[in-house]
Amino acid sequence: MRTAHLSLKAAALVAVLGLTLTACGGNSTTAAPAEGAPAAAGDPVEGGTFTFAEVTPINNWQTQAARFYEKANVLNSVLDRLTYFDAESGKLVGWIAEDFKANNDQTEFTFTIRDGVTFSDGSALDAEAVKLNLDALGLGIKDAQVAPNVDFGAYKSAEVLGKNQVKVTLKRPDANFLRATSSVAAGLVSPKTLKLDNAGQSAIAKIVGSGPFVFESEKPDEEVVFTSRDDYAWAPETAENQGDAYLDKLVIKYLPEVASRAGAAQSGQVDLVRGLQPVDEQVLAANGGQVFAAQGVDLTTNQAAVRIGSGKLEDVKVRQALQIGIDRQAIKDTVLSESYVVAGSVLNHKAPGFVDLSSEIAYNPEKSKQLLDEAGWKVGADGIREKDGEKLEITVATSNNSVVIKPAFELIEQQWRDLGVKLVNRAADNTFLVNALVDDKVEFFGTRQFALGGLGPVYAPANNTQTLNADEELNKLFAKEQAATSEEEHLGLVEEEQRALVLDKALALVLWDEVQVYGASQSAHVEFTSGTAPIFQGAWKSEG
Amino acid sequence: MGGYIAKRVGQALLVIWLAYTAVFIAVQSLPNDPVTIFLNSDSAADPATIAQMKEYYGYDQPVIVQYFSQLLGLLRGDLGYSLSSGSEVSARIGEVVGSTLVLAGSAFVVAVVFAVALTAAASLARGPRLRNLLLNLPPLMVSIPVFWLGLVLLQLLAVQLGIMSLFPDDSFLSLAVPIFVLAVHLSAPIAQVLIKSVQEVGTQPFVDVLRAKGASESWIFYRHMLKNAAPAALSIAGITIGTLLAGSVITETVFARAGLGQLILQSVTVQDIPLVQGLVLLTAVVFTSANLLVDLIHPKLDPRIITASSGSPRALAA
Repeated sequence: MRTAHLSLKAAALVAVLGLTLTACGGNSTTAAPAEGAPAAAGDPVEGGTFTFAEVTPINNWQTQAARFYEKANVLNSVLDRLTYFDAESGKLVGWIAEDFKANNDQTEFTFTIRDGVTFSDGSALDAEAVKLNLDALGLGIKDAQVAPNVDFGAYKSAEVLGKNQVKVTLKRPDANFLRATSSVAAGLVSPKTLKLDNAGQSAIAKIVGSGPFVFESEKPDEEVVFTSRDDYAWAPETAENQGDAYLDKLVIKYLPEVASRAGAAQSGQVDLVRGLQPVDEQVLAANGGQVFAAQGVDLTTNQAAVRIGSGKLEDVKVRQALQIGIDRQAIKDTVLSESYVVAGSVLNHKAPGFVDLSSEIAYNPEKSKQLLDEAGWKVGADGIREKDGEKLEITVATSNNSVVIKPAFELIEQQWRDLGVKLVNRAADNTFLVNALVDDKVEFFGTRQFALGGLGPVYAPANNTQTLNADEELNKLFAKEQAATSEEEHLGLVEEEQRALVLDKALALVLWDEVQVYGASQSAHVEFTSGTAPIFQGAWKSEG
Repeated sequence: MGGYIAKRVGQALLVIWLAYTAVFIAVQSLPNDPVTIFLNSDSAADPATIAQMKEYYGYDQPVIVQYFSQLLGLLRGDLGYSLSSGSEVSARIGEVVGSTLVLAGSAFVVAVVFAVALTAAASLARGPRLRNLLLNLPPLMVSIPVFWLGLVLLQLLAVQLGIMSLFPDDSFLSLAVPIFVLAVHLSAPIAQVLIKSVQEVGTQPFVDVLRAKGASESWIFYRHMLKNAAPAALSIAGITIGTLLAGSVITETVFARAGLGQLILQSVTVQDIPLVQGLVLLTAVVFTSANLLVDLIHPKLDPRIITASSGSPRALAA
């Protein structure tokens, strides 16, 4: 007994040492395929409390202002939307709007609102409530300093038609408008919530939605508890569970310490945890836990978005050289895991209109060097290329939101060094990012953004943080895409946008498809939205 | 004594005012105002909303007006609004300050008790081996990183043995373990200084006199050496407030506890500058108050401090 305990302790110590060293070293080792032992299949079990650990406490719950995972992952189960994007079929289906249609110009949209839907305070989610929500999304809420939702940039007005219809009029055509109504950031709240001040709208205790879970209690910075709403009967058209949630309660906790996450799922202290490191995936799967990779179909791929302000990347040949100077498979093999998919374009493989450009951007160091030579950047004495006395030294900035972005750029730094390009790696340095985000002389912003349909909202505005530049040719293309009148034409133009961003202009050096890796206990059953949010309405726990 | 206290309190207030001004200047020297920085933290923000929010929070005012209106607010206990939550900075701090007080306060008490116990054990230990072992404990304790010890204990107690929750749940262990982790790191410098000064006091002639008079070693230690060594350890204890705060950032993160440390981390991450400003100011106040307290206790332990500062030649000659 005693020896058993000792060996257990030794094993624990070794495990933690391993974790700690990895956390310090940054450059993690290869993770072999993480296959979560699949939970026993069968009919959903009713009841129980489901504990989900997010990576950081949420202080601002305002439903449309910022679009961070930690918030969307919870609000997804509190707020319903007009439409739902079904990632499996790639189609937009009805939710609170049982029917929706657009005019041929993509400037007018009519939603037919489902009967009998109520908010958790008992008030009706009717056409009038939808109109008030659309106004808030499209125009912002001035009294509460709430900005308009960026995907509603074309919004002009909405009017209630008859008993249960709402007609939206846009300022200009937008073929992506319907898709925008499916995002968590377009969640519908009670008209009373819309009247609260900024602090009120930021408090989860005061936000009233029509979703399957209702706020019960919170301990600031430690947990929020939700209860299932018994009379919930308006799930999205394609949801397997059309009724109320199987679970009784949903408890949200926070695990800021990345090294604790695998252990939390393994020991069953949480049912689900977000933000698993690649190195922990195998450990968790081997110890009776499950690993879920939620693919971000609603998002761009992870990328180094290019800013040309410093002049070093002004020549498109240099950007194209860097695009084919990235060995994406090596990134996956070295710092990522089997949960990650190497990027084939700037959109996710499952996004409507995705075009596979992987052969065009395949790793080709020789061609890359040739392009750099042609652009006039010659290798200097120290191995770094230079032109007119200036070295090809470029900088990348990213936030620390992603657990893998820093080691990934460390590897790219090595790959580019062989081409004679020096990358200054400021990834995961939030303090540096404060200024770098709006400084077009910092050549790269490592990021991924929500892209609901076309890429216009992400790359078009002059102050877009990806390129910090309004490229006229691109903007013409974006406008054409938004005005597309048929689905076929629209998808064709979305494809053109990807070719322009990845190949012709090489303003997005794409890396891997966005994915959020979750750890789960053996008994957890849960699926995810196209925006990587867990669907708690359909989640359940097997017994025992 | 009254003059000494007034002078120290005055100095403390001056330090806090200077700290406030330094923070204000630092914020002003950022390339953008707090609202723009906050709203731009992940993607480009709507210029109309930025302008409106700037007006609402008063960041559109001239710098000098901002300085005095914020200073005036400060005197009324108003630290402004946290941009990330829309609620008052003082309310945000109020929500979590209790949790940190319990953690840091208990850790401090445990650390001091442990440091004194270790010093006593090392000073009174009979064999040289045991003494050496005890003397080497503080350097070891200070070299163990707080996060590492926390993670090892969590992995062991929560994941492997399953006798503790990874989250704060009001159980004994979920409070005792973080306190222990923080106290280990904290007690090391206090113990180190205390041991050193006890050793120094031990070489002074009056100790030999006491021994010659037949006093027992423990009597000499508790009644004379510890008392004479205390002032140095007290100064260190005042400075460890900084360690305590830095330690609680890590401890609260590892143990998923709400508290000031977590709040500092979050406010920096989401670039909520008014909240950062409030927290920096609070830190300055805590730090200054702790050192003021040390300054006020010092004369009780060593009355020469007062007479020396009054410039009396008699005191200096003593």
